[in-house]
Amino acid sequence: MIALHSLVPLPAVLPIAVAALLLTLAGRLHRRLPDLVAIATAAAVMVIAALLARGSVAAPIAYWFGGWVPHGAQVLGVGFVVDPVGAAVAAFAALLFALTFVFAWGFFADTGTRFHVLALVFLGAIEGFSLTHDLFNLFVWFELMSVAAFALTAYALNISALEGALGFTVVNTLGSFFMLGGTGLIYARVGALDFAALARGVAPAGDDPVVLAAFCLIAMAMLIKGAIVPLHFWLADAHAVAPSPVSVIFSSIMVPLGLFGLARLLFAVFAASPAVQGVAHGMLVDLGALTAVVGGVMCILQRHVKRLLAFSTIAHMGVLVVGIASLSASGIAGSLAYLIGQGLVKGALFMVAGIMLALLGGVDEIRLRGAGRAIWPVGLACAIGGLLLGGAPLGVMDAGASLIDDAQAHHEILRTALAVGTGLTGAAVLRLAGRVFAGLGAHPGVERDGPTEEEREPAQRPLWLMFAPLLVMLGLALVPAHWAARWAAIAAGGFLLASGGTATIPHLPPTADVGAWTSLAIACGFAAFALLRHRAPHGLRAVLETASWPVSGLLLRIHSGIVGDYVAWVVAGLAVLAAGFALR
Amino acid sequence: MSPRLRVVLLAGSFAVLAVPAWRTMQALPRFGHHALPYGDAINAAAPKQRHVTNMVSAVNFDYRGVDTLGEETMLLAAVTGTAVLLRGQREGGERDRLGPPRPHGGRSEAIVLASRIAAPFTFLFGLYVALHAMVTPGGGFQGGLVMATALLWVFLGDGHLAWGRLVRTGWVDACEGMGVAAYAAAGLGTMLAGGAFLQNVLPRGALKSMLSGGLMQVLNAAVALAVVAGFLTLFVEFLKETAGLQGETE
Amino acid sequence: MNLLPWIIAAWLAAVGIFGIVTSRHVVHLIGCLSVVQSSTYVVLLSVGFRAGAAAPIFYDKPPGTIAVDPVVQALVLTDVVVGAAVTALLLAIALQICRRKNTLDPEALRPLRP
Repeated sequence: MIALHSLVPLPAVLPIAVAALLLTLAGRLHRRLPDLVAIATAAAVMVIAALLARGSVAAPIAYWFGGWVPHGAQVLGVGFVVDPVGAAVAAFAALLFALTFVFAWGFFADTGTRFHVLALVFLGAIEGFSLTHDLFNLFVWFELMSVAAFALTAYALNISALEGALGFTVVNTLGSFFMLGGTGLIYARVGALDFAALARGVAPAGDDPVVLAAFCLIAMAMLIKGAIVPLHFWLADAHAVAPSPVSVIFSSIMVPLGLFGLARLLFAVFAASPAVQGVAHGMLVDLGALTAVVGGVMCILQRHVKRLLAFSTIAHMGVLVVGIASLSASGIAGSLAYLIGQGLVKGALFMVAGIMLALLGGVDEIRLRGAGRAIWPVGLACAIGGLLLGGAPLGVMDAGASLIDDAQAHHEILRTALAVGTGLTGAAVLRLAGRVFAGLGAHPGVERDGPTEEEREPAQRPLWLMFAPLLVMLGLALVPAHWAARWAAIAAGGFLLASGGTATIPHLPPTADVGAWTSLAIACGFAAFALLRHRAPHGLRAVLETASWPVSGLLLRIHSGIVGDYVAWVVAGLAVLAAGFALR
Repeated sequence: MSPRLRVVLLAGSFAVLAVPAWRTMQALPRFGHHALPYGDAINAAAPKQRHVTNMVSAVNFDYRGVDTLGEETMLLAAVTGTAVLLRGQREGGERDRLGPPRPHGGRSEAIVLASRIAAPFTFLFGLYVALHAMVTPGGGFQGGLVMATALLWVFLGDGHLAWGRLVRTGWVDACEGMGVAAYAAAGLGTMLAGGAFLQNVLPRGALKSMLSGGLMQVLNAAVALAVVAGFLTLFVEFLKETAGLQGETE
Repeated sequence: MNLLPWIIAAWLAAVGIFGIVTSRHVVHLIGCLSVVQSSTYVVLLSVGFRAGAAAPIFYDKPPGTIAVDPVVQALVLTDVVVGAAVTALLLAIALQICRRKNTLDPEALRPLRP
């Protein structure tokens, strides 16, 4: 146990130390060494974090930097408190980075070690964010993560990449400033930064306006990062233009991590505020449903594959926030499984986009119709990914979806909204697979109006090197749902224990519920209609297109790409959240 | 959205936010008259525990030292990112397009003289600020920034070429990496010594001595190195851009 | 009078955001972002202020003198680094955009929409 305790700082510190060394030795290293070092570091971090996850099930592991173990109530230093959910997220992030480094082998060679430096710093920040137990320390890791992400988005240096990075940076930085302001406010009220000390201070001042304002401001940063409507606009632009390996990291871990941060705050800091809990149950759940539907519809309207996947991420973040805002053991267990399952599937699909960019010379679904026939195994993987996204009742993602569904069992409209949103994302990916890899769908529908661009990435690495990590991710995503659910339930028990609650292990619902079949039916139905549109009766087509145009036209116009619009929406989102407290 | 519609949305949101903002302001503890338990605990403990008189440095390099690790890494990420973002025209085939560096003849002798006098003094002042982190206001961050500014005097007075001779990009990158690596290594070293990460295991020295604070001295030096190198890289990268632009127009 | 620091902070955040939303030049927009950031400086430093107290430096005053909160000052130092890091990246992005598109009007910068 002593040995395990002393491993706690390493997941955050090791990648940073290696990144600093890589920068120091840049130019004096063999061309391939940075890739190898980065893979080895991420793998080592994964092992350490996995050990910590296993070791923290019975009791959380507290670690105090500088040896500042608190005596009495006054906390002087900064601590990490390892719980199984945080450590599992940390281990999953490291696994994802290792696979992405393999996928991107040699891709970033033209900037020497600089990509590896940024990516390892990114990893270190994610690890710190998952494990920390201090509000300001959380902010430091959050911002470190953002700074690395901003630079990686613009890596391609073409005009779209730069424009996407600009919007991403401005909107997310604004969120960071909100978080700092909120940190200042809660410090004014409580005079502490440690989560447990904050929770003790919040308890007697539960519905104090200062505490609520602090929650609003801090939650804004997490909701912006987690791309919840109407704060989601930056995501589609940034993910669409970032290099494909970077998009893998963004969609699979960076965005969900924002919502993990929200869960941390809800459970570890604001658990004693009835107002915050009430708004989470009400407004956050509603916003999640809205996000799932908007993301799903926007996803169907895209032809640029990375942008399509980006909107599917938005839809899935809606589901994830519903799981978190349920504030229950099964909600947390479901969110953990959903976060990991979604990350594995979405990462694999972004790798499909990367393979298309490298081998087919583009990511425009309509232009590339039938171009992927020669690499049909990739298409098969894409279709499996589409089925999983669309709610196929198997694998880790389904375990998460069933647990979340169970947590909201009484809320029929919400469950329908989530099923529609996920179904539409599945439909879009299945349509993409059928069109690019099987040559179906000669007559595009509404998606022909989506924004697109000619783009390619260097094809310097063989197909198998890109395909292998993709297969590993899909394989892990297909781990039987009941194992994943049981394991997530145990982790959720540890998370509640570490947040100062009692360790309740949720009961496991039967998988393959009605919701899963509904969304799978939507996915297959819409995809079949999109691909076989020319065989459909003419009248049906005309009715559907006339009916869908006002909605799709409005949504496409709202997603304007202009920074000023996005910032105005952020303020509107803050106003909605604040109004949620006022009208409670 | 049209710009007008956007302002309407913003104004509406501000109007909605005004009410809770006002209520929050009134509920906040009275400005200048409320308890500061965390700060008071540090003020009471640090002089005894760490033999330093600058409480801000004690927080940065000891009590909350891991925040500063993240902060320095943020600088490293920004510097690396800026280098990645600005590489486009300069690395690879487009270097020649930049044209010759700006000719030196445009400066008056007064500027050259003033810069040459100011540079070493500014550098010395930065070093002083960095070295006295434990006793008086200042520290590696502030001092490092002043030292980096001193090298800007060289650019102002003696131009591109002298600057280029003094500041080698490869070396600066290495220093940036070394600064952060030293910070992390100090933490890992204290773990090997049997303490926690960044546990202050070195002798603390005497109160009010420039060399008090133990491990905080090492961390302060690492931060100073990282900050000098970081801001130098930022200056260099952006100044190269101005040189390029002028080369194009002349 | 007691509300003045908070009003200033809210005002700075509001005018900064207004500037970002209505900006017609990216460099102006970056400046406005720094204005929003300065509101966080005001909040943090005001939170740690104590009327009539000394700076948290016990060199010419004995330890134990009533002083303001050093923790928020350390946090502001980190905040400054955040500002420097983000501003540097944004200016680099703006520079490259200007090179490629010859305009810095945010209204004209719409990714993937020619």
